[in-house]
Amino acid sequence: MARIGVFVCHCGENIGRTVDCHGVAEACKDVPGVVHSVDYKYMCSDPGQQMVKNAIAEKGLTGVVVAACSPHMHEKTFRRATAGAGLNPFLCEMANVREHCSWIHEDREKATVKAVDITKTIIEKVKRNVPLNTIRIPVTRRALVIGGGIAGIQAALDIADGGREVILVEKGPSIGGHMSQLSETFPTLDCSQCILTPRMVEVYQHPRIKLYAYSEVESVEGYIGNFKVTVRRKARSVDEDKCNGCGACTQVCPNKKIPSEFDCGLGKRTAIYVPFPQAVPNLPTVDRNKCLLFMNRAKGRPDTCKKCADACAKGAIDFDQQDRLVTEDVGAIVVATGYQLYTIGKDQPKDNLKGYGEYGYGTIPDVIDGLQFERLASASGPTSGKILRPSDGKEPKRIVFLQCIGSRDPQKGMEYCSKICCMYVAKHTMLYHHKVHDGQATVFYMDIRAAGKGYEEFSRRAIEEEGAQYIRGRVSRMWREGDVIKILGFDTLEGEPIEMDADMVVLATAMRPQPGIDALAQKLSVSYDQHGFINEAHPKLRPVETNTAGIFVAGACQAPRDIPDAVAMASATASKVLGLFANEMLEREPTVACVNEANCAGCFHCERVCAYGAVEHKDIKDRAGNVVRVIAYVNPGVCQGCGTCQATCPSKSVELQGFTDEQIWGEIQALGV
Amino acid sequence: MTELRELARRLLSEGTVNAVLGWEEGPRGARPAFVTTPEGADTLIFDHRCVHNLASYLSPRRPHLKRLGKVAMVLKPCDARAVAGLIRETQIPRDKVVLIGVRCGGVITDPDSTAPLTEATVADRCRGCPDREGHLADHTVGTAGPGFAGPSKRAQKIEELAAAPAEKRWAFWQSELEKCVRCHACRQVCPMCYCDRCLADKTQPRWIESSPHARGNMAWHVARAMHLAGRCVDCGECERVCPEGIPLGLITRKIAQVVSERYDFRPSDDPAVPAPVGTYRMDDPQEFIL
Repeated sequence: MARIGVFVCHCGENIGRTVDCHGVAEACKDVPGVVHSVDYKYMCSDPGQQMVKNAIAEKGLTGVVVAACSPHMHEKTFRRATAGAGLNPFLCEMANVREHCSWIHEDREKATVKAVDITKTIIEKVKRNVPLNTIRIPVTRRALVIGGGIAGIQAALDIADGGREVILVEKGPSIGGHMSQLSETFPTLDCSQCILTPRMVEVYQHPRIKLYAYSEVESVEGYIGNFKVTVRRKARSVDEDKCNGCGACTQVCPNKKIPSEFDCGLGKRTAIYVPFPQAVPNLPTVDRNKCLLFMNRAKGRPDTCKKCADACAKGAIDFDQQDRLVTEDVGAIVVATGYQLYTIGKDQPKDNLKGYGEYGYGTIPDVIDGLQFERLASASGPTSGKILRPSDGKEPKRIVFLQCIGSRDPQKGMEYCSKICCMYVAKHTMLYHHKVHDGQATVFYMDIRAAGKGYEEFSRRAIEEEGAQYIRGRVSRMWREGDVIKILGFDTLEGEPIEMDADMVVLATAMRPQPGIDALAQKLSVSYDQHGFINEAHPKLRPVETNTAGIFVAGACQAPRDIPDAVAMASATASKVLGLFANEMLEREPTVACVNEANCAGCFHCERVCAYGAVEHKDIKDRAGNVVRVIAYVNPGVCQGCGTCQATCPSKSVELQGFTDEQIWGEIQALGV
Repeated sequence: MTELRELARRLLSEGTVNAVLGWEEGPRGARPAFVTTPEGADTLIFDHRCVHNLASYLSPRRPHLKRLGKVAMVLKPCDARAVAGLIRETQIPRDKVVLIGVRCGGVITDPDSTAPLTEATVADRCRGCPDREGHLADHTVGTAGPGFAGPSKRAQKIEELAAAPAEKRWAFWQSELEKCVRCHACRQVCPMCYCDRCLADKTQPRWIESSPHARGNMAWHVARAMHLAGRCVDCGECERVCPEGIPLGLITRKIAQVVSERYDFRPSDDPAVPAPVGTYRMDDPQEFIL
């Protein structure tokens, strides 16, 4: 016979204000099986926990029900207290009368009735609870970092410096990410490449970092501590072991007019190319979509041009190289895939994005985006750091910056603020002022958001010391007359329309997650929001964890982030990963699925729906050793306890421990329905 | 028919199989038969009265089949979908059964009828059926009639019900399902209902009330329909065996229609085609996810 103890918490006034806690405790005394029922002001306090322990010892309780807050808050506290009194901790359950009752109701009488009902359901559940044991699983103490931008680099370095091996996977031919494209960084105006490239080199030289550049994550299996990751190493057409990075191949390539991705289309590259001089690894890559040989092969014609292969003294060019799949075992994964800029033109990747055709991006050559301006201002850029118009190479004397293009615009873009644009536009006006002394920079803004150390001072400096003219308002239309860009806008402080001529316009476009982030998130089983940003597990208390254990998130793939934020997040993920790797074994709650072997028909619907690959096949043999049946078996180390198999099983042959059908049924019956 | 008998005799005499599962002439028309000797092959028949879905006997939990060893099964094109379903759901290994495909131009509904196969007598599910032979078969014998054009009366009834207001639909199903005596013949005959212990037989907790009254009946038929969503092969056996004449095919066909429209899936006679349960595609409609 069950001997249940009920402990009703007032949570100060949190529950007591709307629920008659003493009344709840009294009402529960009448429930069959309840031998002890009390209320107390703060059950989670030390004296409160002591009440639970004493009751277990004195009354010989077989189950504990704590009517208090959400199990998310204090389940662990009370299970520890229960275990401390010598009772199996999984015989203790929380009845949530705070979040599910007192906080959401006003009528004290009705709320008290509901609190009694909630507590009764959990009493019925605990009567059907069985002792469970914690699961211990081994941890592979190596990490995978996806994305080789500054966030990925920082995470990889921190984990590797902490003594654990790291696999760093980068989609592009070189690590460095967007930060390598920037000219100078706010709010200190230090050269971006000067502070980034030492980190890139450190990654390359680090004995515990294995770098897979020009590679993508193909598939991910497994679970926290035991992921199996398959990485597609895309064919560079260059043998990494033979190439010495001399660059002779890129010089002879006849196809020299390909818009460079690194220079945002403002510069040109060859078909075999190294994206930028400090690239890591310093290996050329053949762009098979642009290489004459591959274009001929695609049309079924014989190979003609082999100039790069002829020029290579090491014989490193391999046109027949294939993609390779490599498998790595890791225990934790950091996602740091970064961002892309909102595409401004009329062609939009999604139906709900309208684009900004009225700004003439793509049709007026001197309308560029923020990253393009970075390349113009960068010493390594196509103009060697001179601010020149893409159309005619003249120096623009009147430059206009438009902020919030695609950000804070639910109608045509994203409703969120892209966070970095206010600051980088202020920086752009300064860089412009430093290079074109007689030029005038004008900024159209909605608000100036400069929350960050030294940020407000920086944007004030742009206005007060560096001569930038800030106009609060939006631009409605831009068109070209001769070589002048006509701008029609509205000054919301003056309250009047404004017409302006400009030689060049820079659009501060919204940050969006990288394309393909949804596919990656699905491979990793992590959730993402409507914009494609990876969701953190808790916005305040678990900002770098995802809802899948063992997978962490850093940088601009989680939300718009500037460099200091991205680096801080990356270091935070590293600390989480190193914390996870501190022990050889990982303890897990035994809330996992368990197959009823007598009933399982072996249809394996559970295997098909299991998102974690936890369902295996098990042979049932007769005494002679012949296989008579094949049934499902749930690997408790892999199972995450989501219950999808339980919902899918047609014969109800698989149940979640701690949430069995009988327990749930008992809860429903307690409500008298 | 001679072709079928000769093939069966050969398979039995060569020892390829221990038994052939087919049809024979019984006292009340065509009936399923297990032939275990080469001589017995002469009793095998196949014509438009062979309506039964023999795949029901392939379930690993049927004791008679287990005892017989390796079997060959005479396979109508529509039954091939059920065999494919059983292979897909790992109930039978493909190499443990020899499939003798028979070409088919439609069957009637009653195996004991003397009526010829005509536009008037053909089973509703055969109207519009495009399959003349089962693609899964190891051997194919016989000749096929031309088949019958759709649409079926059942499809018209489904459309009619779908167009009716909810109260009318509810009244229709209440009046139909209150006839149910919970004999579970629909479950026993269904080739895809192979669980050792059915949900409806569970007592801890009892999900579905076992006595025949409105609430339990509704729960049983809804549960059965949900379990067959994307799996029902439309052999029509449940409706044929129902002693109360409940139009069960309307339920299974409606569900199949929904699965087909939403997930672009039709029961296939290819075991490699994945079932919609447990199949996730990037373009699956998911407007219900917020």
